[in-house]
Amino acid sequence: MSTEHDPAGMTRRQLIRHSAWFGAAVVLTVAGGEVISHIAGSADAAQTAKPALRFAQISDSHIGFNGPANPNVADTFNQAIGQINGLGFTPDFVIHTGDLTHLATPAQFDQVKQMLTDLNTPHVFTVPGEHDSTDDAGQKYRQAFGAGTRGDGWYSFDIAGVHLIGLVNTLNLKKLGHLGADQLEFIEKDVAGLPNDTPIIVFSHIPLFAMYPDWGWGTDDAAQALSYLKRFSSVTCLNGHVHQLFSKTEGNVTFYSATTTAYPLPAPGQGPAPKPMTLPAGKLHDALGIREVSYTKGQQALALKDEKLT
Amino acid sequence: MTITDLATRIALSASLAASGVVHAYLYVDGYRGIPTIGPAFLLQGSAFCALAVLILVGGPGWLRLASAIGAAGSLVAFALSRTVGLFGFTETGWQPAPYAMISVIAEVLTILLVAATVLRRPSADRLPAT
Repeated sequence: MSTEHDPAGMTRRQLIRHSAWFGAAVVLTVAGGEVISHIAGSADAAQTAKPALRFAQISDSHIGFNGPANPNVADTFNQAIGQINGLGFTPDFVIHTGDLTHLATPAQFDQVKQMLTDLNTPHVFTVPGEHDSTDDAGQKYRQAFGAGTRGDGWYSFDIAGVHLIGLVNTLNLKKLGHLGADQLEFIEKDVAGLPNDTPIIVFSHIPLFAMYPDWGWGTDDAAQALSYLKRFSSVTCLNGHVHQLFSKTEGNVTFYSATTTAYPLPAPGQGPAPKPMTLPAGKLHDALGIREVSYTKGQQALALKDEKLT
Repeated sequence: MTITDLATRIALSASLAASGVVHAYLYVDGYRGIPTIGPAFLLQGSAFCALAVLILVGGPGWLRLASAIGAAGSLVAFALSRTVGLFGFTETGWQPAPYAMISVIAEVLTILLVAATVLRRPSADRLPAT
């Protein structure tokens, strides 16, 4: 084998050696990735052969909105419903995290309620957005969706060993979302008797974390609510309102903002205000979507899968 | 090879392995469910473990340089996730404890060890090994 130097100052032998090291690095990295994936897969297989709980989240359908950002929000909402029905399994329930309607008119509530009946799931849960309570502190919302709820529309339920809490933080708005004393007392009492290892999932429209307070993307008394949940090993908060995916962890709590089925909003601070964004033709569906959530007994974290609207 | 060289090589390998194992553990533990961040943790974990093995068995100098670049990248990603967010993902402070701190210490150590190696060697030795 030649040991002559090439113009770069490396002999062929050296080049072969370095190539071998590079190849070894690639092979070991791929093999290591396979091993780690296999371990993760084994953990899944042992515990997620059938998740204890599988549900879908949709948000911010804004039925009644009419603008260039999305000239047909009913159509994209229908597509989202079809996508959930085509997941390949029946979700234990579907949660809509608010702004079902754009202007909270009786006709818009009727329309969205009718559309939600097309979902192939035993239960549909909702929480109101500020667009669902524009002029009546949420009365029309509660007439349409408030059956079985407490106070101004909050509630909790247990399914598959998971405790779920639906909160209303869109009434009594100043700038940020607000829960209020009655609801905080409800949360405190609601979780008081639960063991520490009970997985907790909280739904709200406005984020319970300070995503961007300048635009009202936060809840002023969320810290009090979360203090009642501190002792639990797994707390997951799902919200809408911001029309974009975002996640954040704070101690035992993980927050996930969902996207919308209607129209995108700018990223925090991008522009003077969170106004509907009109995307180039063909790009709207990439900004819209649905979320699939599953929980497996023995695992702390929920598995989330966000899917673009197809 | 001197005892110092061998010790540096072992320490570098250990710091890489620590960061890689932490990322792999967090991936298995639940980060794999986070879009983009999950696959990034898998890649970081497997690549750092591979680099740890290859450096331990006497790999060439550019593997150490790659390690330092990877460690710096991991630290930048850590800083972004605590400030403006990384692919829409943010975390607070040293959460998840103690893994965040172990990983940061290991990556800083990796950079320092590579820097020490480069500074200590005469310039002629910095050429690729044959």
